[in-house]
Amino acid sequence: MMKDSFSSFHPIINFGYFAAMLLFGMFLMHPVLQVIALLCALTYSILLNGRKAVKFNLLYMLPLFVVMAVMNPVFNHAGVTILFYLKNGNPMTLESILYGVSAACMFVTILLWFSCYNAVMTSDKFIYLFGKIMPALSLIFSMVLRFVPRYKEQIRRISLAQRSIGRDITQGNMLVRARNGLTILSIMTTWALENAIETADSMKSRGYGLPGRTSFSLYRFDSRDRLVGGALLALIAIMVIGEVSGRNAMRFFPSIKMAMTTPFSIIVFAAYLLLGMLPVIIHVVEALKWKSISSKT
Amino acid sequence: MQAEQLTKPNRRLSRRTLLSAVLILIVIPATILMGIYLLNDRKYYFISLLIILYTMLPFAMVFEKRKPQARELIVIAVLAAIAVAGRSAFFMLPQFKPVVAIVIIAGVSFGAEAGFLVGATAGFVSNFFFGQGPWTPWQMFSFGIIGFIAGILFQKGLLRRTKLSLCVFGGLSTLVIYGGIINLGSATIFSPSFSWQALLAVYASGFWFDLVHAIATVFFLFILSRPMLEKLDRIKVKYGLIERE
Amino acid sequence: MEIYQLQDVSFTFPLSDQAALSHIDLTITSGEFVTICGRSGCGKSTLLRQLKSILTPHGKREGTIHYAGKPIEEANQRTQAAEIGFVLQNPDNGIVTDKVWHELAFGLESLGYDSGSIRLRVAEMASFFGIQHWFHKNVAELSGGQKQLLNLASIMAMQPSVLILDEPTSQLDPIAAADFIETLRKINQELGTTIILTEHRLEEVLPVSDRLIVMDDGAIIADDTPRRSGQTLFQMKHPMLAAMPSPMQICAGVEAGASAVPVTVKEGRQWLDAFLQGIPALHRESWSQPVVNAVAGVGKRQKPVIQFKEVWFKYSKDASDTVKDLSFEVEEGQFYCIVGGNGAGKTTTLSLTGGLVQPYRGKILIDGKNIAKMSAKELFTNQLAILPQNPQHLFVKKTVEQDLYEMLSGSPLSFVEKTEKVEDAVQFLELEPLLARHPYDLSGGEQQRAALAKVLLLEPRILLLDEPTKGLDGFFKDRLAHYLKKLNAEGVTIMMVSHDIEFCAKHGEVCAMFFDGSIITEKATKAFFAGNSFYTTAANRMARHVWREGVTIEDVIALCKQSS
Repeated sequence: MMKDSFSSFHPIINFGYFAAMLLFGMFLMHPVLQVIALLCALTYSILLNGRKAVKFNLLYMLPLFVVMAVMNPVFNHAGVTILFYLKNGNPMTLESILYGVSAACMFVTILLWFSCYNAVMTSDKFIYLFGKIMPALSLIFSMVLRFVPRYKEQIRRISLAQRSIGRDITQGNMLVRARNGLTILSIMTTWALENAIETADSMKSRGYGLPGRTSFSLYRFDSRDRLVGGALLALIAIMVIGEVSGRNAMRFFPSIKMAMTTPFSIIVFAAYLLLGMLPVIIHVVEALKWKSISSKT
Repeated sequence: MQAEQLTKPNRRLSRRTLLSAVLILIVIPATILMGIYLLNDRKYYFISLLIILYTMLPFAMVFEKRKPQARELIVIAVLAAIAVAGRSAFFMLPQFKPVVAIVIIAGVSFGAEAGFLVGATAGFVSNFFFGQGPWTPWQMFSFGIIGFIAGILFQKGLLRRTKLSLCVFGGLSTLVIYGGIINLGSATIFSPSFSWQALLAVYASGFWFDLVHAIATVFFLFILSRPMLEKLDRIKVKYGLIERE
Repeated sequence: MEIYQLQDVSFTFPLSDQAALSHIDLTITSGEFVTICGRSGCGKSTLLRQLKSILTPHGKREGTIHYAGKPIEEANQRTQAAEIGFVLQNPDNGIVTDKVWHELAFGLESLGYDSGSIRLRVAEMASFFGIQHWFHKNVAELSGGQKQLLNLASIMAMQPSVLILDEPTSQLDPIAAADFIETLRKINQELGTTIILTEHRLEEVLPVSDRLIVMDDGAIIADDTPRRSGQTLFQMKHPMLAAMPSPMQICAGVEAGASAVPVTVKEGRQWLDAFLQGIPALHRESWSQPVVNAVAGVGKRQKPVIQFKEVWFKYSKDASDTVKDLSFEVEEGQFYCIVGGNGAGKTTTLSLTGGLVQPYRGKILIDGKNIAKMSAKELFTNQLAILPQNPQHLFVKKTVEQDLYEMLSGSPLSFVEKTEKVEDAVQFLELEPLLARHPYDLSGGEQQRAALAKVLLLEPRILLLDEPTKGLDGFFKDRLAHYLKKLNAEGVTIMMVSHDIEFCAKHGEVCAMFFDGSIITEKATKAFFAGNSFYTTAANRMARHVWREGVTIEDVIALCKQSS
């Protein structure tokens, strides 16, 4: 599978895109917009994660959707259209059922966007973005990301070493295992602390703490980023205007009321679809370009 | 002399600690409540995003502004990484996580601010491995605030470096603070509208998990607190890492 | 131009009444390649740390240190950070961030360079060091050699005028170590950077060094070209002579007052040829015969205690085989060495022997019993023990003594019996002076001794060792060999895997060559090295065109003396 093209854009574009989609996903309740968001998130997650995403969506997202949709009407009894009464005497209303479906849709959409976010916004992009605003903390993040795999490897080695003197964490009762696990953690802690002092030396030795530290990154904001950034801003602006002018409004309680569909709302819907599909569109365009280049040679 | 400095906490709270206390203990809960009541309907996710800012900002600002030295960064990074990696030392025991215990030890040993940063960093970075999601800010906040409170209580002399004191605090804070906040979080995430019944249902369903988690924390603190604090003291003395204020 | 000038420098650690450095006078000129050697704890690391004030430990210093003509205190932090590069011993500890490219830029960020300049410098360094292929990788994916190269490159990116390295190759395997030294040579030759390094393994580094400084007890005892420093050591009959390259030691052992001391194997051969000129070839042949016989006649066969029968192993279902069709036997009371390159599967074989991983085909028998059917308790009580590569993985307590008792915490022995056992182990390994110390405050060799004591409390009949000489100086290696032989004499079987050919040649009884998942050849040590032509000791490579059986330094010296 071809590498996702959207991931190769500047981190600020990646981050801005996901921030916008998550915010819109949380705020917009108009059913058309919700369906668009769900569709876009679903498509992109499959594009990014392939078969794994399909499996994940069917196995976890679908049941989650159902559970959430059912959970709401059990606890929420607002709404005027009463369908029937539950055993405990509480009414089941159409509004709360639809509201449950809508909420479930939103939640699944958010989770899907996060799964895309996790694939695109790798740690180094995040660290780069926050490196300028919070240099010390982003350095801590980077250090923790360096230490964790190292510590896990140490834990593995220590547990082997412990096993080879007969202290096995995979055998014995719970208490024995937990105790041996603690011994491993304790050895690891001493090791980590003692070795970290040398790491601090290495930082100081390379001038950490001198005033005027800069933050370097491999990312460059090029014309491609400007183009997509501009498109992103324009589409977001349309969405905001739509929200302010009430085109996206949706009310569930006490009775369902949706904003009327006008030509402008069609524009807003189209803008949202375009926005949601932006990474997919970019991916397809790049793939086509590549095809035409490779067919020429 | 040095040992005395280590074990006798400075009882006077610094202005920075006070400012952070006000922000964390008042402004953040206020925002949550305000969000819940003013932005009724389904704006809870948005609140959780605000919390990440609120929790990060005062600490981030203060921390960045005083230009921490390499050794401070290292200590926070090492403890947070131990908390994250520590989970893999207990791979065979699900729900048995040492994170809260390590965060409390960090708060007691290095102060409220370090406690918060270790907790929040551990919560944040562990999600680079397990996947970021709407739960990230809630976890960061819960871990962070436990470390923060541990630091403050220790400084005020209410929490001591004894096993009993630490275990009681650890158990309660895991059950009440961590469980309380995380369940509130999942209530706002899972149930679209706010209702006491729904919240109660979430608390009830989460209770046993929280209890196991609290027992784990007590267990870890019971066995780990003394050697861990000793190890940290040794590092402080050996490498001149004594907290300056 | 003098880059460093030390005048009468002494240094004492706090709470210590003995000076770690005493009256050091030293001048280093720009562009020199200076190697400092000496036993562990002789003060060489302390000396290096005096050369960059931010790394200088707390303590009392006397005398003056001038850097580039001015007292070092006057060189501000920025100048020192930029101009004095310092590479630490453990490659893992030097690296701060999680990405290779970020690590390369770290120092330049500290110095406040703008993105454009950093980009250029980083690109230059990546190209110079051949890092471009792994430029985007996570640090966790790199090998030890790559990590140390990254440490070096990230310091070179700051364009220092002097590079200080504290035992930079001690944690690397021989091939990576040789590559690293070669890179240092390139930096010194092509960029003119002054290099000051401490090192235990001198074979590779001496040929490229301009100067060899030998330290003992905080003082400099020799400071000249490697050749002449070596000669000074001969004249003093100093124990540090044992750390010198084999050709030098052989020459010293044969003609005490030699004028041109050989440093490399090539020079050693030339020296040997010159030495043997005029001695009839026949005379030499006749002497070498008994060696072969002695080698061939390995005593009568003992009961095998470790048996591998067509063992296959891989780490995961889709991985390629790490161990392939491996069969071998270790007899009771043997000292069995497995040598071979990195990643050949040596350590895996050790893990298989210890039951830490299970083969998917074939059988492993320990003392005749199938290991797959033994419980961990059965296997590790009075039967088998493994000394891990990193002794730190065994330390749990605050003091060595507590740590030793911890080992017996689960046993039903009475307190008196425990004390007796611990005392025995302490006595055996001469640990008395270390008992009250924190395990992490010990030197590498001492840590290993303490770890060995812990392992010996299990009273194993079979002892497995993984790379036990890594990072040890010659003195500690000899001590280790001494203890291992004592154990051997008590009937304990020893199996070790190692890169350290010299150690195996000197002390091993049987050596086996591991390659591509299996043992290629297995012979009694002398015959083994006499049969190899490249993978053998330096002494053998120097003398094998005359005496194939001359494996150790002592062998070759004896042969030389016999023929003259």
